[in-house]
Amino acid sequence: MTLKILSINEKKKIEKSLKEQFGIDKIPGLLVKRGEERIFLFQGSLSPKEITELEKTILLERVGIYFAKIIRDEPKLSIEGTQILKDQIKKNIFELNKEQAEQWMTGQELNIKTGKRSFLIMKYKDDLLGCGKASEEKITNFIPKSRRLKIK
Amino acid sequence: MKKSYPPKPLFIERMKLLLGKDFKEYEEILKKEPVRSIRVNTLKISPEKLKKRLEEKGWKINQPWKDYPEVMIIESNLEPGELGRALEHLLGYYYVQELASMLPIIVLKPKPNETILDLCAAPGSKTTQIAAEMKNTGLIIANEIHLGRIKILASNLERCGVTNTIITRKEGRALCKRLKQKDFKFDKILLDAPCSGEGTLRSTPITYQMWNFKTIRRLSRLQKQLFEAAFEILKIGGEIIYSTCTHAPEENEEIIDYVIKRFGDKIKMEEISLPIKCRPGISKWKDKEYDKKVKQACRIYPQDNNTEGFFITKFRRVK
Repeated sequence: MTLKILSINEKKKIEKSLKEQFGIDKIPGLLVKRGEERIFLFQGSLSPKEITELEKTILLERVGIYFAKIIRDEPKLSIEGTQILKDQIKKNIFELNKEQAEQWMTGQELNIKTGKRSFLIMKYKDDLLGCGKASEEKITNFIPKSRRLKIK
Repeated sequence: MKKSYPPKPLFIERMKLLLGKDFKEYEEILKKEPVRSIRVNTLKISPEKLKKRLEEKGWKINQPWKDYPEVMIIESNLEPGELGRALEHLLGYYYVQELASMLPIIVLKPKPNETILDLCAAPGSKTTQIAAEMKNTGLIIANEIHLGRIKILASNLERCGVTNTIITRKEGRALCKRLKQKDFKFDKILLDAPCSGEGTLRSTPITYQMWNFKTIRRLSRLQKQLFEAAFEILKIGGEIIYSTCTHAPEENEEIIDYVIKRFGDKIKMEEISLPIKCRPGISKWKDKEYDKKVKQACRIYPQDNNTEGFFITKFRRVK
């Protein structure tokens, strides 16, 4: 799968959305697109030119880590995306209680009316737990299977 | 309870020869369950905070090495798989890692802004440890040949929030050759080589069944070639760690002896200091005599520290 390093303008567009959604000012690092939707964050010391050069020599399987997915122009941050930007997130945070956090981490949607129709940052105490999508009646869960809590 | 496998007679014979009077103690410790150890992922949480959280869950935590507070042993009786199922693990606050497997990176001493190659990186325990030491700065190239293992590596890097790493999929020798053509060089290289895994018998008893001497000979050839290839892309003044999780001298001292002879005054073996008991490398095995410098290598036996077995050496490229 080919990698595409996002240009300054493309990155700015994502930053603008994140600013509107969550009050985030700046994404610290390079953004690399893999496939149509998945965006990776790379904070290593290689410049875009150096990465491109390296890619000509070796197959690069991953550059950085999965950071966000762009869904209809709206970025949905991954668990790590929310954790990395923790200190910049100012709004659209949904604070979970213990029971809800457990439900969330098992991968269940939450039947809660938030009055919003957008992505929300899910938070329990100090833990950032990725993004959920609020709609009329519920918050849709995006916790990947491999990261779900298995309650016995 | 893990399934047990009978050790092969040749393996027993070799270990007896290697350990002499200590063989009995070795045999005894292999019957014991390995210690449950974790390494705090300092990219996401401090050791103090995690310790407090885990203690609040009722886990009894011991930090065995005072200079490495991120290393923890869970002394409580946990249910099978509980370490991997815990929320703190799912959120990437710690990595379940065997104590001996943390040692190569303690020897490597990664520093912020360095360029480091982890040549045989999956599943990523050491890559994530390197990234934590580097505070996600500089660059790590984490290479792995098998696609299935790359997926595990990528998932571990993601869970641990490692953002300074590029994953490559290439046969190790070929990767080094390509990088050499591009004059791409590293400050440090970790060659945690594919090996026969004799040191992992406590956690992976199936190794007994897979063990055979032919594999050791084949791996020994590969390990020499991997080292030779890696040396070519190490900066002058740079360091390379050669480690395995096996006791077989053909995969350990024989490689070191080969490297010393092959690179002569271009390479220098460095002293190693570790927070656990190490035995020196052996300079004689069966009919073979190795260069005396192999004694600077570090042999870690399960019975000495209640860990798995490991072999670690450190070299500096001087020319």
